[in-house]
Parts: sequence; structure tokens; C-alpha cells
Amino acid sequence: MKVPVSWLKEYISFDISAHELADRLALTGTEVERVGRAGLPATDGNLDRFVIGQVRSKAMHPDAAKLSLCDVDIGGGKTEKIVCGAQNFEDGDKAAVCLPGGVLPDGRTLEAAVIRGVESHGMMCSEAELGLSSEAAGIMILPEDAPIGGRLIDYLPVSDEVLELEVTPNRPDCLSVYGVAREVSAVLDAPLMPEPVEDIEPRGDDDVEELIYIEVADPDLCPRYAARIIAGVNVGPSPAWLKARLVAAGIRPVNNVVDITNYVMWSLGEPMHAFDLAKIAGNRILVRRAMAGEKITTIDGTERALGKHMLVIADNQHPIAIAGIMGSEDSEVSGETTDIMLEAANFSGPGIMASSLELGLRSESSTRFEKGIDPELVPKALAMAARMLVELAGGRLVPGQYDIYTGPPSPVAIHLREERIESILGLPIAGEEAEAILARLGFGVRREDSAMHVDVPTFRADVTREIDLIEEVARVFGVDAIPSTLPSGMRAKGGLSEHQAAERGIARRLADSGLSEVISYTFIAPDFADRLMLKDEDPRRRTVPLANPLSVEQSVMRTLMLPSILQTVALNLAQRNQDINIFELGRVYLPVSSEKLPLEKRTVAGCVCGSMRGESWTGGGRVADFFTGKGLVENAFAAVNGDFQVRRAGEPFLHPGKSAGIMVAGEPAGYVGEVHPRVLEAFGIDRPVTAFEIDEDALIGSSAGIVQFEDLITFPAAYQDIAVTVGLDTTAEEIISVVREAGAPLLRSARVFDVYKGEQVGEGKKSVALGLEFRSPERTLTDEDVDAARQKIILLLAERLNATLRA
Amino acid sequence: MNNLTEELKAHPGLSDIYGEASADVEAAADPESLEAVRVKHLGRKSPLLQLLRSIPKLPAEEKPVAGRLGNQVRAALEQALLTRKQELEESQLRERLAAEQVDITLPGEPFPRGHLHLITQTLWEIEDIFIGLGYRIAEGPEVETDYYNFTALNTPEGHPARSSHDTFFIEGHPDVLLRTHTSPVQIRVMEQEDPPVYIIAPGRVYRRDSDATHTPMFHQLEGLAVDENITMADLKGTLEVFVKSMFGAEREIRMRPHFFPFTEPSVEIDVSCMICEGSGCRACKHIGWLEILGAGMVDPNVFGFVDYDTDRVQGFAFGMGIERIAMLKHRMTDLRMFFDNDLRFIKQF
Ligand SMILES: [Zn+2]
Repeated sequence: MKVPVSWLKEYISFDISAHELADRLALTGTEVERVGRAGLPATDGNLDRFVIGQVRSKAMHPDAAKLSLCDVDIGGGKTEKIVCGAQNFEDGDKAAVCLPGGVLPDGRTLEAAVIRGVESHGMMCSEAELGLSSEAAGIMILPEDAPIGGRLIDYLPVSDEVLELEVTPNRPDCLSVYGVAREVSAVLDAPLMPEPVEDIEPRGDDDVEELIYIEVADPDLCPRYAARIIAGVNVGPSPAWLKARLVAAGIRPVNNVVDITNYVMWSLGEPMHAFDLAKIAGNRILVRRAMAGEKITTIDGTERALGKHMLVIADNQHPIAIAGIMGSEDSEVSGETTDIMLEAANFSGPGIMASSLELGLRSESSTRFEKGIDPELVPKALAMAARMLVELAGGRLVPGQYDIYTGPPSPVAIHLREERIESILGLPIAGEEAEAILARLGFGVRREDSAMHVDVPTFRADVTREIDLIEEVARVFGVDAIPSTLPSGMRAKGGLSEHQAAERGIARRLADSGLSEVISYTFIAPDFADRLMLKDEDPRRRTVPLANPLSVEQSVMRTLMLPSILQTVALNLAQRNQDINIFELGRVYLPVSSEKLPLEKRTVAGCVCGSMRGESWTGGGRVADFFTGKGLVENAFAAVNGDFQVRRAGEPFLHPGKSAGIMVAGEPAGYVGEVHPRVLEAFGIDRPVTAFEIDEDALIGSSAGIVQFEDLITFPAAYQDIAVTVGLDTTAEEIISVVREAGAPLLRSARVFDVYKGEQVGEGKKSVALGLEFRSPERTLTDEDVDAARQKIILLLAERLNATLRA
Repeated sequence: MNNLTEELKAHPGLSDIYGEASADVEAAADPESLEAVRVKHLGRKSPLLQLLRSIPKLPAEEKPVAGRLGNQVRAALEQALLTRKQELEESQLRERLAAEQVDITLPGEPFPRGHLHLITQTLWEIEDIFIGLGYRIAEGPEVETDYYNFTALNTPEGHPARSSHDTFFIEGHPDVLLRTHTSPVQIRVMEQEDPPVYIIAPGRVYRRDSDATHTPMFHQLEGLAVDENITMADLKGTLEVFVKSMFGAEREIRMRPHFFPFTEPSVEIDVSCMICEGSGCRACKHIGWLEILGAGMVDPNVFGFVDYDTDRVQGFAFGMGIERIAMLKHRMTDLRMFFDNDLRFIKQF
């Protein structure tokens, strides 16, 4: 909302600078985006170089037929010679003269110049040169009352400071200069002038009701519809001051009728519309919802299809305006218009917003109506506009008017408790102070006994409760006065939950293990399922799709972390980053058919691609593989003192031989494995990637809890290594489970430390070396104890797995 | 030793042996030749040993002197050998160590260290500040109903934020959306728990906006304190502690009245610009203050939705964007880098 300061000063006087005012407003709840300047630059006395002059004589330029040579009286007894190219003036006309050195709104500086051999000491300005309109053909002729020699700025607002306000949606009353003036009045404690809505006497013996019939069919969308008729207007350009005002406010001047409706909207906040009375078919207006298939061509020249719930202003035949949003081209006021119907109405905010959104059409009018504005503005706007039309467009106000109204909003009175102010703010504000602030904002305050009863004016529909009044008092009083304290009754104990602490532990452990954390968009491209070669019946093909994604690449919520991980790998490889070792703690989103909301499963995912060590002169790391990934998964589980088992994974996106399903307490909890070459190809990745994905709840749930003390010192352990030859298909897990069974109860741990395949063990065989740890909690083990246990292990391995002891 | 040499002058045979052996010990250049010297001069067949063995055959009056001198020579030679051996070993070690010298300016062995994402680091830092003030962390779903995201937060039907222009909706469920803030967590917590409530709710949030200064997903942290006597002054004090912990003790905050549907009164919180120290710069648009969060007293309507008695309890709420905090703290200029996941960015922090 642009508010020219000179316009603001019509309703409130203050003597601080626009910048100071902006600061005061910013600290009381009205955000000022910037303080700009419209029209002529005001720096370095520039405004003194634009004066009102009168043409004393106009002669033809001796050497150029199209130029005239003028003597222009610029007051103080001075007359300047000015060469002028325009022809639209005569001796005695008054004009805006720019003297040499004057800077125009477009930044040009006028210099004294010799034009075709004749010196010219200034310029008589056109409206275009002053930035008031696009009218460049002739100079701007000023009215006769313009004082010769006076500064132009003192006569016309050709240069104005402009406050650009960001009005919050709860304050549509501030989408008007008068509303802002009221706010300024409250903030600065300066008196506010009355609203500029003094009515004008109608003339003539006809009556509005004879000229037009108006009916509101849908009062739910149109609580108030009022109209007046102004007959015999001369449609033409607005006076310069009106144009200057509108231009400063960012509104393009059109003609006097449209300009006046815009001026009234800007002044009071009530959008208006002027129809050419002659173009209303059947002299009949019906305010109704659009009918199926109806169309309208709006004044911007666009044909628009109307929905059945949209409110329109229709004549006998068809809609002539989309109510509160935009009028039609064919009912628009034009140069031939003589009689106009002036509309001021109140439309339902949600209705306007719905129509505006659906049409993709917003206007100054719709942005006001959609926030819900004061229905009591309607007669005020009609009065102000009627007066201006009669005064500036030469019309006659026809007696009578329509005002179809469902009735004023019920009055709102609120009991404000003084002590409540302090209990909310933590700052005492005296009752008299609160009362004065509320009064300046337009509230009525009554004291009954000592209680304060506040009557809310109709333009403040946002205020309905005591707390709203407290806010009004607080912001105008100044929230910077509020002291700093901490909650006095704090009895709560802060901290992380066990789960949250474990989650942080996992993140730290993975980072310490060499993985860097990434954060990916949770919405991905829907073809991820095909790229991962998921089977048709795979439940992870069922996604949570967005209804209005920004792009198809971000249109479904992920059901697996892997697509995000692989996308990050591809991106980094494209950037020539080496060793993409990453993890993410994120969620996957799984639809649950009986539920409205999907299951959001927290997931720990990551991958290794390249080396974990990086290149170094001390020797490079080995290229990460399945066992690197598995080691990282082991680290993640170790971070929570948890454990897992593996089984062959059937994941279609993984290498069938180098992948494992992660099992926690017998339930699947994720996977780790080399990504299938075809999947890598589908993601544009040209080197091996080992990825993992673990259900975070299962991971944390696998925790054995707090580590319990075990005496490892008093009775030391005995260590033994054995190496056995087994068939190639025999797994480490099988060997270890036999070893554990046979070694119980003295065997405490068994760990594979070497696997060898080759000539020495023969074809189809491999040698597996294990480190065994024996321990008793009660005594130090003897060699005999250990030998016996070892012997049992070797025997059972031979029996179950056909294993032979290697020498 | 000199006495020994003096005394030996009267015994030319022993003197020669001693002189030659001493010279050989001195001349030995390495432990091997030193060992040869030992064998030669102290071995069983050495002249000294032979001489010592012949002492019993000497006349009785010569025996004591010869025996004493012979043994003294042997002891002196053994000592010389030992000394020489230590010298040789010492110099050999010195040489080896000298040969082992490395270029200490070469880089050390790389140990793999990963980096937590800057967002996580920032989030943890913020969380820890509020944990220290007595807050718990509450979490909730990212796919939310419009009831929790809007209605119960006093955001009326038809509010622009509820439009499909600003908010992501789930296909087939017009009342399900991606949460636009973490405020719905407040509602879920208050539905479950009676006051007092002191929580923060961090997490991913979504808005339908993507340009240089917006990403469709970002992170927020909301705070909520509901108790019997919570005031706006408590809000100010709490956020002052937060800002000073996060950005330095010399930072100031100021409150500006604002409008949010779910708080009343509402304020925006500015922090004194840490880049220009308040003198005005581009980051603070030359006003010396940076807007960092929105806050206010919980609107009574919100309490109405969770059946809290507004005559008994009141509270404050605040919300901040984690990306903005991280960007200010680390003087970062491009928001989009957070989610590009380029490791060159991630490994900076
Ligand atoms: Zn600054």
C-alpha cells in the first residue's frame, strides 16, 4: 500500500520526517517496506527550479516553423525566453516552467540551450515530462488560479514522499490513506481530521429508481449493495493534482470518472465501480451467482469463464462485472458516457477470495474485499465520489439511491480488565493510558464503575476479544517497554528423550566413522520405483503423491531413502567430487490404507562410493565394498549398544550376491549391499556403490540398554586360534554358530580373522581362521580346560560341517 | 691407567700386549671387528691368556707382580672393549636415526572424518540452548491434516496460506498436506498433556515456493511455553537468552508488533546486526536490525481447540527458520546450497 505523504497530511498533520514516521510505524505494527519519492526529485533545491509561469507572448521561431518563441513571466518581475515545440497554448496561458538545472522525474537535467540559433532559458513542461501521464503532445496548461512565480510544488503535488506499507491481512482498514492516518494519529497522539465524506445535494426531479432497477439475489455473498446515478458528466482527463496523487500512489490515471473511484478507494478503502448507465441492458441490475457457461470479457481484454459460485453484477442479458474483482469491457465508462451508475458494495471476503483464486485474477478491489471490509464504508464512499464527480466531472447527482443492506454488523463491546494487561504483558499500563490509546484508534471507551467497556468500531472487525484490545494497547504504547524476565514457575525438566539421544549418537557415530551427513528433499520423481527395479507387487511402489507439486521431479513422497542417496551420489560425481561417503537421517512415507496420514518411518541410510581413506602418500584406502558398508552398519548398531543379524537380501535393487537383509529380533529392519549395476546405470552412476538403509526405531530398539559391568580382570581370558577347512558354501555364521554351541559355556567369543582360498586348501574349499576367547567368571582356566573345549569344537565342526583342522 | 702404563714399563712383554691390544680396540670401526679384537687379545689363544697361564711357572717372587699386572691388563682391556662397544653402538644408532629422518611437512595420515550437516549442527546448538532452559523436544508428522496445521492454529478457511498456491496438498486427500510449520506439534502435545508445557518442536517443513531465497523444504524450530503466569516479558527474556547464546553476549533484541493468526499479541523479533554491529549494512538493509523470528502470546482460540482453561493458563510461542539462523551465523549467502548436498559445501563445517 503506497501512501503519498501529502495525501496523508490531508487527514493528519505532523511535523516529523517521513523516515521518522516510518520508524514509529514499524515499531507499532505497521511495517514500512521503504520510503520512496514519486515525481520530481527533491534534492539540491530541485523543487525551486519548477515554477508557475505565464506566457506573455508567443511568436514563431525565426528559423523553425514548428517551434515557437515565448516570453514567459516567471514572477518577481522576471521574464524568460523559452523556445517551445508544443502548439496547444496561447498568450496568457499558465504553465509549469522548468528552469535550467531542473531535474525531471526520469533523471534528465534541463540545461539552458541554443535551439536553432535562439537561446532558451527553460522549458514549459508536458504532463509526460512531469511524470503525471503519457500526454506528451502539448504542455500542461495550469488553471487560472495558479499563482505566477510560485513554486509548482506548492500548487501541485508533483513531488511527494511515499510510504510503502506492508499491511498485515488482519488490518484491511489500513489499506486506505484515511485508515493509515488514523493509525498515525494514535501513534503520534496527533488529532485526526474528519473523514472527507460530506454529502452533496442532488439536483433534478428524476429519481434513481426510475432510471434503474436493482436486486440482490445472493445476499450471502453481497451483504450490502448501494448505487447512485450521476447524470451529465463530461468524461475527460482528471485535473493535474488528482493525477499526481494517483501516480504517486502507483495508480495509472485513466479518466476523471475512473480516477475518482480509484481516489475514493485509496482514501477510504472502499473499492467502487462506475458503469456506463446507457450500457446496462434493460436498466436492470441483478447481483447473483454466475450461471453455467457464462463468460465475461474484463476490462483488461481477457475473456474469462465464470464458475457457478462466483458472484457477478449482471444486467438483463449477461454479467457486466465480476463482483468486487473487475468490470467488463462492454460496460466500461468511455468518452461517450454521459450518465454513470456509481456502485459501492460490500462483498463477502471468502467469496471474493475463492473467485479471485480460481480466476487467477487479483485487483486492488479484490485484495481489499477478500480481507473483509467495513460495510459502513459504503455510504461514505458514495458521498465522497458523488461530490468529486459533480465538482470535477461536471455531473449532477440524481435524487435517490439504492442501498440494499442485510443490516449493520452487531455491535461489539468488550470488557477490558486493567490487571489483565499486566498479566499478559508483564508490564503495567495505567488504565487512563490504555483508554487514551484505544480512543485514538477509534474505539469507544465507557467507564462503568471502574470497569472499562470498549465499543469496537465497525472498521475493526479484527478486534473481538479482550486479548485483541490488549494487543492494541501494547503495540501503540510500545512493546520495547516490556522488560525481560524468565518464566517464574518453571518446574519442567528439559532434556532429550532416550530416543532423541540415541538418534544423535547414531549421527555422531556415522560422522565419526567417515560419513558426511546430507539432507535431501523428501519428495522425489515417481519413476524411482522403475529405476530401482521394484517388482509390480512391491508395496513401496505405493506412494503418497502430491496434488500440486512444483515439478514432476518432486512429486511423490519417498518410500525408500535409496533414490535420494543415489541422486546425491550422481550429483557429486558430476561435480567431480571423489569418495561419496554419506548418510542421512530422514523419513520415508508409507501410505496406510485405513489411515488418513501415512506411516512416517524414521530411517538411517547411507552409502559408500570410492575409498573411506581417500588418496594419500601414505597409501590409498581400499575401494569400499560390501564389507565397508556392513562395518558402518555395525558401527551404527554399536552406537546404541545394539545388535543385528543378516540374511541374504532379496532386494531387487541390490547385487544378489553382495547384499544382506538386516534383521533385528527376527524382523527385517533394512538392508546393506552393493547396488545393482542396472540401478546404478539408471541413476547415471559409473562406479560401485554400497548402500544401507536401517529402520531407526528397530535400530534403537535393538539396544541392550545400559552396559552392565562384567569382571574381565580377576580371571583372565585364554585365547586360541584355530583354522579349519570347509566347503566354499559354508558361511562364517554357520561356523560360528557351531563353534558357539560346542564351546559353551567357556567360550566367550569367536571371531573370523582370516579367510583363505587357493591351492593350499584345494578346489571347492576355503580355510577360515577364528580367534577364540575362553573365560570363566569363577576361576582362571587351565590349559586342560581350554584344550578340552577346543577339542569339542573341532569335533562338532567336523561332524556338522565336514570341517577339517588345518595344521 | 697411567699408573698401569708406568708400571708396565718394567715388563716389556706385557706392555707390548697391552699397547697393541689397546690400539686394536681403538681402531675397531664396527662391532664385528671389535669382536675380532676381543678374540685376538682376550681369546683362549691370545698372548695375554697364554701369558697368564704361564704365571704359575714363574719364580715365586715374580708371581705376585706378574699375576696382578696380568689381571689388571685383562680388566683394563675388557673395560676398553666395553666402552668401545658402547661407543660403536651409540654411533651406529645415531646414524640409523639420522638416516630415518622424514619430511615432517608432509601431511599426516588421513583418518576418515565425516561432517554433520550444517543444519543439524545449528539445530543441535539451538536445541541445547532450550534444553538448558528446561524445554523438551517434541516431534510430529510432516504429512499433516489441515486441522492441525491450520484450523487448530486459528488460521481461518480462505486464508491465503491454506491455498494450493502456497501449500503442498496430498493427492486424493484435500484435507491432508505437508506441514507448513512445526506449530501443529504444539497442538498435538497440548491435546495429550496438561500444562505446564515447555517444548520445542524442530523439523522439516514445506512451502510451495522455490527461488533464490526459498526452498520448498526447509527447517523450523517452534517453541511453546504454557504455564500459569507466562507473560510477554518472559517471552522477551527467553529469546534474549537464546539470541545471546547463539550469536554472542553483545547482541540485543527488539520486538516489533506483527500479526500471526495463532498468537495475540504477535511480535517479530529482530537481533542487532552482527555483521555491521548496528551501523547499517546490506544484510540488515541499513537499519542495523535483522529479523530472525516470529513470536507472541498463544491466542486464546488456540487454547480453545485443546481445551486449556484460558483463565488459568497462558503461554507464549515462537518460531524460527533454522536455515536463516545458520546463514546469519556463518555469513552464508546462498540458501539453496543447503539441499544441493554437494560435499564441498557439507565438508566446510
Ligand atoms: Zn548490518
